[in-house]
Amino acid sequence: MSDLEVFERYPGRPIDRDTIAFFRGLLERRLLVNRCGDCGRLHQPPGPVCPACWSDDVSPTEVSGRGTVHSFSRPVVVVDLDEGVRATATIVNCDEPRIGMPVRLTWIERDGAPVPAFEPAR
Amino acid sequence: VSRARDRVAIVGVGTTPYRRDAGRSELSLIAEACRNAVRDAGLTAKDVDGLSGSWVRAELVQSALGIPECTWYANTVPPPFHLQVIEAMNAVVAGACETALVYHAAYRISGSAAARDPFRAARRATLEAVLGPPSPWPDSISPVLCYATWANRYLHDHGGRREHLGYIAVNSRSHAVANDHAVLRDPITMDDYLAAPMIAEPLGLLDMDYAIDGADAIVITTAERAQAGPHLPVLVHAAALGQTEHAIEENLPDLEHGGQRVVHDHLWARSELTLRDVDLFYPYDGFTIIALKWLESVGYCGPGEAGPFLEDNWSAERSRIEIGGRVLVNTHGGSLAEGATQGAGHVREAVLRLRGPDASCALVAGGGFFFNPGALLLRT
Repeated sequence: MSDLEVFERYPGRPIDRDTIAFFRGLLERRLLVNRCGDCGRLHQPPGPVCPACWSDDVSPTEVSGRGTVHSFSRPVVVVDLDEGVRATATIVNCDEPRIGMPVRLTWIERDGAPVPAFEPAR
Repeated sequence: VSRARDRVAIVGVGTTPYRRDAGRSELSLIAEACRNAVRDAGLTAKDVDGLSGSWVRAELVQSALGIPECTWYANTVPPPFHLQVIEAMNAVVAGACETALVYHAAYRISGSAAARDPFRAARRATLEAVLGPPSPWPDSISPVLCYATWANRYLHDHGGRREHLGYIAVNSRSHAVANDHAVLRDPITMDDYLAAPMIAEPLGLLDMDYAIDGADAIVITTAERAQAGPHLPVLVHAAALGQTEHAIEENLPDLEHGGQRVVHDHLWARSELTLRDVDLFYPYDGFTIIALKWLESVGYCGPGEAGPFLEDNWSAERSRIEIGGRVLVNTHGGSLAEGATQGAGHVREAVLRLRGPDASCALVAGGGFFFNPGALLLRT
């Protein structure tokens, strides 16, 4: 998929050389965070170097999307992913989000493009 | 020892009326506030050789005011006003300039009414192009939902109640009654607070500052030069900014490991004074939760204790906070009631009070939880 197509599918979003892989992942319904090839740590939002060891060897890695709600302001939840990084998205299939609630990743459409969301984990 | 300690003084303050819709440009508001501040300091445009401002570029302000020569100028954004003040302080201490004019205009660009106003919509587009979103994620708690999100977590962790936030809101209105500069001057009760429309749980309409058009300016110069001015100089005894690696709203590990903690540690390390010396406290209150947390972060009480602390330090008779029966808080009404000027009103009020006989030390704690906390310890 061309860079131009990623820009066209997510108009107005902050797409640059460091973040475009994240958005390309969204189009494939894969949630990506950066993983450091040297120290193995995960981090988001995607940056040009590993904040922990300053290595340039960072690459997008898919995360499970399972986690627990750290806090929320409906309809948006901030989630502690099982992998140890935060994720922020709309919660669906849930009237009353709670802090500590287990959630899992799902996908919704917005303006014709996939957007990550969370729902209560069964 | 901090090289800045007591080296600079605030010698002039100026403002404009605060209005929901001033019908004027930001530059017009800034020009009025700057003119008032320089005159208040007993100075003229020729005396100003430094400019420290927020959104409106320094060269435009210099031209508008006919300031002949500057040897230092900076624009720092986003604005919490203490940032512009500390920039100017550093410049004067370093000798980059001798007398700095510090300015900030508040201008309503958010909301549907602002979007229908072509002047505001145009300005909003300019500012959004400069700032951009801090997180690429399609949904983010920045910049609007972040305080509701963290207030939820705070109340959850500490068994806090909305009444704890309400003390901040009621206190501000009680003070604004006496401030003819304030835009919201009707007193409110705790019942009024609790009955206000919920906006983003747990924050309601009265937890949020009141957006206005208006500007403030102050004049900063050396402590030596300040002696010649018409007013009692207000010295910057200590100042600190604070930021951590987790500055994006959703990435803060918890409220005890944000910039406010950094401010606490470094402000008091740089100060000969302690919290017991503080006569007046000005915590930023863009949202009530911020001011509540500042009570803990500057050291009045421990994490999660601000609510019970306010219960113990509340004057039911005057419907206001009286810390230790003595220290008043946001005596102008804060951003909640005087008007939202990103902390500029807090600094102005602190200076005006310190010129009087009833107080000699004020603590201004600005900014929120994430990338912009800072504090000024002012004394006479």
